Amino acid sequence: MIAKMALAPDTDQLHVSWAPDREQRTGVAASVQSISKRFKKSRVLEDVSFDVAEGESLVLLGASGSGKTTILRIIAGLELADSGRVILHGKDVTDLPARERGVGVIFQAYALFPRMTVEKNIGFGLKIRRVKRKERKETVNRLLELVQLEEHRKKYPWQLSGGQQQRVAIARTLAYKPQVLLFDEPFGALDAQTRVKLRREIRALLKQVKVPSVFITHDQEEALELGDRIAVLNNGHLEQIGTPDEVYNQPATEYVATFLGAANLLLGVVTQGCVEIGSARLPAAKETKRFREGQSVKLVFRPEDVCISQNANLPGACRRLANGVIEEVNFVGAYERLNVRLDLTHRQQVENEAPLYQVTINTPERMTGVPIMITRPKPEANAIKFKAGDRVAVGLTSFSVLPNYTLARQR
Amino acid sequence: MWLIRNRTSILALATLALLAVNACLPKSPSESGGGINITLYGFSIMKESLEKAIYPAFVAKAKREHGVDIRFTSSFAGSETVTNQILQGVKAQVAILSIERDAQRLKDKGFVTSDWHTLPQQGIINKTPFVILVRKGNPKGIHDFPDLAKPGIKLIHPDPVSSGGAQWSILAIYGSELVKSDKQTGGADHARALQILQAVWRNVISTPGSAREARTQFESGYGDALITYELDAVLMKEGNAATDAEIIIPEATILSEHPAVVIDRNVSTAERPVVDAFMQYLWSDEAQRAFVKFHFRSATNDALNQENKELATIKYPFTVDYFGGWDKAYPEVIEGIFRDSVQKRK
Amino acid sequence: MKLTPLRHVRGFDVARPISIGVMVGIMLPLVILPLLSIFIVGTRNGLRGFWAALVAPEAVFALELSLVTSFWATLFNVVFGLFAAYVLSRYNFWGRNAAIVTISLPTAIPTAVAGFALLLLWGPQGTLGRFLFPQDRSQLMFTAYAIILANVFVTFPLAFGVIKPVFDTMSRSLEEASATIGATRWQTFWHVTLPSLRGAIVSGALLTFARAVGEFGSTILVSGNLAGKTQTAPLYIYAKFNSGEPGSLEAANAIAIVLALLSFVIFSVLFFARDWFEFESQV
Repeated sequence: MIAKMALAPDTDQLHVSWAPDREQRTGVAASVQSISKRFKKSRVLEDVSFDVAEGESLVLLGASGSGKTTILRIIAGLELADSGRVILHGKDVTDLPARERGVGVIFQAYALFPRMTVEKNIGFGLKIRRVKRKERKETVNRLLELVQLEEHRKKYPWQLSGGQQQRVAIARTLAYKPQVLLFDEPFGALDAQTRVKLRREIRALLKQVKVPSVFITHDQEEALELGDRIAVLNNGHLEQIGTPDEVYNQPATEYVATFLGAANLLLGVVTQGCVEIGSARLPAAKETKRFREGQSVKLVFRPEDVCISQNANLPGACRRLANGVIEEVNFVGAYERLNVRLDLTHRQQVENEAPLYQVTINTPERMTGVPIMITRPKPEANAIKFKAGDRVAVGLTSFSVLPNYTLARQR
Repeated sequence: MWLIRNRTSILALATLALLAVNACLPKSPSESGGGINITLYGFSIMKESLEKAIYPAFVAKAKREHGVDIRFTSSFAGSETVTNQILQGVKAQVAILSIERDAQRLKDKGFVTSDWHTLPQQGIINKTPFVILVRKGNPKGIHDFPDLAKPGIKLIHPDPVSSGGAQWSILAIYGSELVKSDKQTGGADHARALQILQAVWRNVISTPGSAREARTQFESGYGDALITYELDAVLMKEGNAATDAEIIIPEATILSEHPAVVIDRNVSTAERPVVDAFMQYLWSDEAQRAFVKFHFRSATNDALNQENKELATIKYPFTVDYFGGWDKAYPEVIEGIFRDSVQKRK
Repeated sequence: MKLTPLRHVRGFDVARPISIGVMVGIMLPLVILPLLSIFIVGTRNGLRGFWAALVAPEAVFALELSLVTSFWATLFNVVFGLFAAYVLSRYNFWGRNAAIVTISLPTAIPTAVAGFALLLLWGPQGTLGRFLFPQDRSQLMFTAYAIILANVFVTFPLAFGVIKPVFDTMSRSLEEASATIGATRWQTFWHVTLPSLRGAIVSGALLTFARAVGEFGSTILVSGNLAGKTQTAPLYIYAKFNSGEPGSLEAANAIAIVLALLSFVIFSVLFFARDWFEFESQV
């Protein structure tokens, strides 16, 4: 569908009617300020604030119970916050009912009206706004063309596939030019393949019509692909908001780090511009700048950001962390996964000593080493082969250093 | 206890107990004890006099004189209804009906084989005149049947198809006009009688199935007037102090005569003597006195009527014989005049 | 959808005809034969007698009265049932469960008791009657309106009982979607909720109507039973049954045949059209 849409001759004409006033608009489309909500005894949302810019697609990412659905419903007006404000295009809508806000919501099960045809579903928003029949028909036609469902116009929702239903749901909201589109786990009900296909289509469509959108998902891969920015929620608390790159590679908290992908976590101490973990010392001048000397920190790094070598020479960009022993090697299709145990014991290293020496598989270091996970892309795995028992040097190309609040963040 | 281990088993036991209790049909109170059972079906207003006076007296007498235990089972409804029930197979042994025509119906279908005319008083056990019940103070100013035809009067009248009393009432209204005009001018004025009957029926607001049901509705506050047996009117005044009512005695009115018959088909040879004894008892002074006490008029001895001060004096009484008996009265008046001219004209 | 039974036995399964036979055999004396006997007695006087019984003016009136009073009672109860189902499934308030139980109460009350209750309430000495319908003014009881009132009471929970479960299982998100699109509560109700309730409304209405037409215990008390004025079909049948006139039994059965046929038609519609009623479950 993407290819088809890209080649569509008059795509520009299609979205003109939706995008004209949006072309002029810049700045903040929707703003959520200090929203808090309690339900019975627990805090569902705690002081959440973020903005959605014009034409931006923001993804709210979090586990179930993190409050992401609630904040979406509060923006839509389907639920009331205990405190805080919702601003849409500069207008404070906090006290307005859903009906008057002009938001478009795409529900998890699409919520298409079962007794109406596709046409009637799409035209519903116009009908209740008393748009004249002729104009209504035109708009519906254009929308049907936009979402490529012209042949299905007279069908009923139960006759359509999940993906088609979702497109009807989107068209239905676009009909009345919503201020912002809110997607509630839109791909939840679909199989893996359709999910991927659809989210790309939707992203393309939204870029065309330039409507600011907020998505909810618990799938980090989806978040990374869909969002211009990602907001990570944990138990009602906004942990970090940033571009996919920022959130993935510079996680602000441990939760963000572990949620967005596999991450390795080691506890250490800031020592003279390095992170000291056991007997290992990782040079980290830039990353430790904001910390005090001797402060307890967490070292977070992704499996794909680790390089290993059987001789002492690690590539230039790779900063040396420690030595380790390979415990297990797994082939996982597109890449290779290795489990490595790091040697972080208090054995002093002698200067100029070759860091490697031959040991058998059953050396004590292997038993007491700290386990980490490493992934290597297929070409590299084929080029240099490792096996269990190999002793390697381990280095990191990229990592984050986070403050270690042992008690403060406990919930 | 091993059965009551937890809440589920308690619940299960309770349910089973409930089911067991409800599974068995209840025992009829009248079936306890031995002796002979007489089943009597009567028309609606016979209930009190039979149950409170006649039955106990007869049972005591039978016990005293013959050492026999007797029990009575009865049911009461409109006379035609009762007759239908017997025709449909109810095992009644004695029937006390409001109109002789019902007795004839039973005879026609073979349920009654003996001729009740051979019984004392041709089978009539008691009689009573038809009167008008109105609200206390007689706010609508009703003094005779024609007054019931006044516009705005609301009349309760039982349904002639099922109630014998209703048919008596029609004869009373129609006949009273005939009798009065006869006395005044020497000729019965049928046209005027018909006119009054029609006008009265236009004021009827409810036609319940029996005379007793009509009384109940009147007691509940419905209607301005009720035409009924004198005895029922007096019983009502006696029993229900809350209902303020007055009895209006019309100038001319009919005396209803109530036959009692034996349903021969349902009486076994063993039971026959007892049933016959009971029937004879109904005409004894004792029983007749009892009927008078319950505001009937005796069929045997008018002198007994003096014992009840409530019974009124009728200026111009008449009976169904005025019409030539029920054989003539039913087809001519009830069917011919009432059904064809009065009811249909609505 | 044809039912292909699971094969339990090699060769011919004798349990099948036996089971079917037993079922029909039990139904025969309990249900089938009573209905048949009405037909037999009702046509005993031949076709001419049957027809004469049907066209008797009081019989025609009784049937018309039954149909009209049942119609109005059904209309009221369906509309109220819809309204009450909406209120009770959308709003939570103190006493909500009590309200639901109260609505369902009339089915547990013997119809005669219902009739008495109405008489005592609306009569000239009744709690409401003494103010609204005192002795001198025209009465509510013993009129066709009383029949409608009694029918409303007795069939009160039927339509409600069919409509409310549909309301409960209806997805909230449909209404939420409609609200976010911009529809008012009324627009949502009219365009979104009501069409989904179509089947329940129709089957609720048919159920109520069938029950109201057959109502006896309360009508016999509150209607006054005036032939040709306030006598419904069941009352007519009962009066004819108790009547001493010749031919009444056959006349009663003739009208009973009409009522039985009417019920048969109603329930056939309910049965054969249930696919249409269950349309919405295909979403």
